[in-house]
Amino acid sequence: MPTPAELIARVVRFVGDVLGASALRFEIGTTLVVLGILLVLLQLIARPVSRWVTTDVGGLAGIGRAMALAAEAGTDAVFSLGTAGIARSTDAFGRLQTLSALPLLGHVARAAARSGVPLRVLTNDPLAGVAAAAALDAAHERTATLERHGRSRIVMVGEGRGTAAGLVMTARARPAAAVAAGSLREEATLHLDGLRGGAGALTAATAEAAQGPTALLAGGGALIGPELFQAAADLRAEVNERTMVMAANRILAFAVLVVVVGSALALAGVIDPDALLLGIGGR
Amino acid sequence: MRRPTVPALVIVVGVLLLADLLVVNESLGELAGLAVDAAILVAAGAALAAVAALAVRRSGELWRRRGDPVGAVLVLGGMAAVLVAGLRPGADGASDPAVQWLVSALLVPLGATLFGLLFVTTLAAARRSLEVGGREATLLVAAALVVLVLLLPVSGDAGAWLAAAAQWLLDVPIGAVFRGMLLGVATLAAVFAARTMLGIGSADD
Repeated sequence: MPTPAELIARVVRFVGDVLGASALRFEIGTTLVVLGILLVLLQLIARPVSRWVTTDVGGLAGIGRAMALAAEAGTDAVFSLGTAGIARSTDAFGRLQTLSALPLLGHVARAAARSGVPLRVLTNDPLAGVAAAAALDAAHERTATLERHGRSRIVMVGEGRGTAAGLVMTARARPAAAVAAGSLREEATLHLDGLRGGAGALTAATAEAAQGPTALLAGGGALIGPELFQAAADLRAEVNERTMVMAANRILAFAVLVVVVGSALALAGVIDPDALLLGIGGR
Repeated sequence: MRRPTVPALVIVVGVLLLADLLVVNESLGELAGLAVDAAILVAAGAALAAVAALAVRRSGELWRRRGDPVGAVLVLGGMAAVLVAGLRPGADGASDPAVQWLVSALLVPLGATLFGLLFVTTLAAARRSLEVGGREATLLVAAALVVLVLLLPVSGDAGAWLAAAAQWLLDVPIGAVFRGMLLGVATLAAVFAARTMLGIGSADD
């Protein structure tokens, strides 16, 4: 019967033997790069709050104010889930964008529920409609406003990408705020123009690279390309949290600046790092 | 509010599909196929339920004389026309000539008409952006004007130089921006997919 110390020693020896009998498949530099990428990816996955962003991407922090205005004016708000859907005949990239819009819908739905503003969710896909209904349910349950749940609704606009654009261009309702998040393709200009025509505030979010200019021209907040996937991690807008991230970012920027300037000065022979840091003079 | 069952189900199905993608195994393939078939069935059921709900809602509005009666008549009439054309005795379903005619003679021209508005709405959006004076939008419109000038059909050496400059713009700066954006989209799409599979919610959940 080995003692615990002997057991640990055997395990360490076993691991050492395994490592000793192994070889790196790639060079050490390549291996470190791969491990570094994995580390960054894991950090991005595990951390729900984005580390680097302090700005209000897409104007989503202003949703609360827009809902307050809607409540005051007695109007509603509109959330369009884009035109890809989930179960429609479209590519996986479009479906993923619809899924990434659901956390944004939850954020808007919670703000609407707190303010007592009815929310209209536009979709052209039944499964996306079911998911949106679940998001609305969760928002009202979370904010303890189940009595307001009946005022919000899911609007099935019909099959096709053009139908969603046609609906918003011909709708007579004038929402206080409109958010379009998800895949928008050739119909994007029509869709956003129709939403913007009546809404007081507009946020357009799409990861379709070709439609970035359309989101910019829509005239409201814009989440372009990767920002659509990133936005869910940046929804929290607490002042102290953002201030801490901002301060840490500035310290990092200052450190990088010092390193770059110091290296340039040392390379130019203006300063001697050893003499400067240790006071021992150059060797 | 987060129910543990749903993330657990997502993780199990996600890992199953991922394993089926990486490993060739008959039992694994059958299990993955079962999961995919179940998802298709759910989607089909949801689609049927949505269509039925739409018909019931529009019929109710028409019956109670509420909402938009013209829209309700058009929706119900359209549904009835496609159902009759595709399901009448002897019909070939979606490939029936009557259904094809409805699509090609009505739906396609309607869609084309809608997309014909793109030119006007894009110009209006550009004008509105310039009026508002947003930095990004102004830069965008200025760049679009530069590309428009470069693509002018001018003959001679000047035309060749303009065409070469336009091609360089498309290949180098615009191409670089597109590639960068696609790389960013791919990275964050992978992160988002992993978060969804692992049940990690958004920051304000």
